[in-house]
Amino acid sequence: MTLFRAALWAEVLKARRSKVPWLTALGFSLAPLVGGLFMIILKDPERARSMGLISAKAHLAAGVADWPTMLSLLAQATAVGGGLLFTLVTTWVFGREFSDHTAKELLALPTPRAAIVAAKFVVVGMWAAGLTALVLVLGLIVGAAIGLPRWSTALLWRAAGALVVTAVLTLALMTPVALLASAGRGYLPPLGWAFLTSFLAQILAAIGWGAWFPWSVPALFSELAGPRANQIGLQSYIVVGVTWVTGLVGTFIWWNRVDQTR
Amino acid sequence: MNTTLHDAMNIVIETDQLVKRYGVVTAVDAVSLRVARGEIYGFLGLNGAGKTTTIRALLGMIRPSSGVVSLFGEPIGPGGCGPWRRVGHLVETPAAYPELTVRENLEVARRLHDVADRGATIRAIDRFGLAAYADRPARTLSMGNLQRLGLARALLHEPELLVLDEPANGLDPAGVVEVRELLRALAHERGVTVFMSSHNLAEVDRLATRIGIIHAGRLIEELDMHELERRRTRRLAVDARDRVAARAALVAAGYAISLVGEDGLFVLGEPRAVAAPDEVARLLVAAGTPPTRLTVEQDDLEQHFLRLTRGVL
Repeated sequence: MTLFRAALWAEVLKARRSKVPWLTALGFSLAPLVGGLFMIILKDPERARSMGLISAKAHLAAGVADWPTMLSLLAQATAVGGGLLFTLVTTWVFGREFSDHTAKELLALPTPRAAIVAAKFVVVGMWAAGLTALVLVLGLIVGAAIGLPRWSTALLWRAAGALVVTAVLTLALMTPVALLASAGRGYLPPLGWAFLTSFLAQILAAIGWGAWFPWSVPALFSELAGPRANQIGLQSYIVVGVTWVTGLVGTFIWWNRVDQTR
Repeated sequence: MNTTLHDAMNIVIETDQLVKRYGVVTAVDAVSLRVARGEIYGFLGLNGAGKTTTIRALLGMIRPSSGVVSLFGEPIGPGGCGPWRRVGHLVETPAAYPELTVRENLEVARRLHDVADRGATIRAIDRFGLAAYADRPARTLSMGNLQRLGLARALLHEPELLVLDEPANGLDPAGVVEVRELLRALAHERGVTVFMSSHNLAEVDRLATRIGIIHAGRLIEELDMHELERRRTRRLAVDARDRVAARAALVAAGYAISLVGEDGLFVLGEPRAVAAPDEVARLLVAAGTPPTRLTVEQDDLEQHFLRLTRGVL
């Protein structure tokens, strides 16, 4: 446990000293800000019409300017934006050791490699939790500033729960990203993977197989394509879980067993 | 062989028929070596000879295709298991987290090495003259200071074995001397074992107590420095104002001129000439062509290494 704490301390320090957390926070802040912009547009139809394309898109994405819509937008943004930003975070946490050629300094230590990998996953989890909290808090501030109607505490808990589950489902899909950043020894393979899975997620969701494709599940859960009861089932949670376990085990095995030549 | 027996025999590094293959390429081929406590072992080879692969195998970074590696009698197993508290290393180019300061980089190493003494970081900074850079991000360091940081990290936990890949890389001449003296002191005074690869053969010549030469993956020679000393080719280099007369006098006295250089210097390779340069001097003086230069020269490690590796090629 002491050695795991040492590994966690090191990973937290690396993240704290990096600009990447600020960049991801900035990126994720766009979700509630853009959501707020949509709400402003929807609150004033005259203005919306005068804004042309933006107004049309706002109607497509949202509908009415109220708290249920705003909070639903936040969950959807977490599913879509989280898929990208959590990938960036995971890629940086694991891939940087190869880009900076520091991986070799982590291999022959009293601190087991498993503790280092576990610490990296914990940091990714903490980082994702922070970003999710940021989206929720910023969304609430923006919604309150706009003066959105139909607020209730029950709605907040329900929406926050959906947001957290969406984030957890998205985060669960990051273990294969960690494996690819490690096995690919850098940033490009996991980023390519993110684009590929994001593309396939949309295609498969569109043709009705999204419930079976792990990378479609967070967006479907966030009700991006309609009520989740119609979109996903138990099998969806199972495939996400299987993906999580596969990536997790694969990453630990890779760090422990595969030749480290860089 | 069990750990206790190894300790008793003071064997720190042992490889037995170590083989590492990458597909059809055999990077290391049946390398068996033993390094005892307190030795400074210079591991030499051309680029791609298998030095770094061997070092990575010693550190458990790669799994041997066959054969065994053990440190302090403990087999280096899968999953990074090994006596790493007793081992410090510097593999290939030194690397550091660029956004962390020198102090923070060493602090990370201290914690991951499970060193409770917080003073270890400061001592490592001072030992390698990094105090002026302690609070600078590692990305701003010169290559030489990055190398110092790598060495500081390798020594931070006071290891009993140092595995160093090109330890003098990037250091200025003063730094090279500093590191040489430090390694020598660690080996002689504290019994630290040093296993170092290097292209700087003059440095190895000065420092190592034993050398191993790896070529095309095979350990083609292993000898201690006394043996190297014995094997070094010696010759007597002679010069005189009247070189033709000097050569003629020596030939008349039965000496064989083994080499005449482009600069007119000539060399006597016979043991009797090397053993008694005063006799050669007396002979030349008597012939009326006194020597202007009379030097016993001997092969350095570089010449020995090149002769050996070119001979194998």
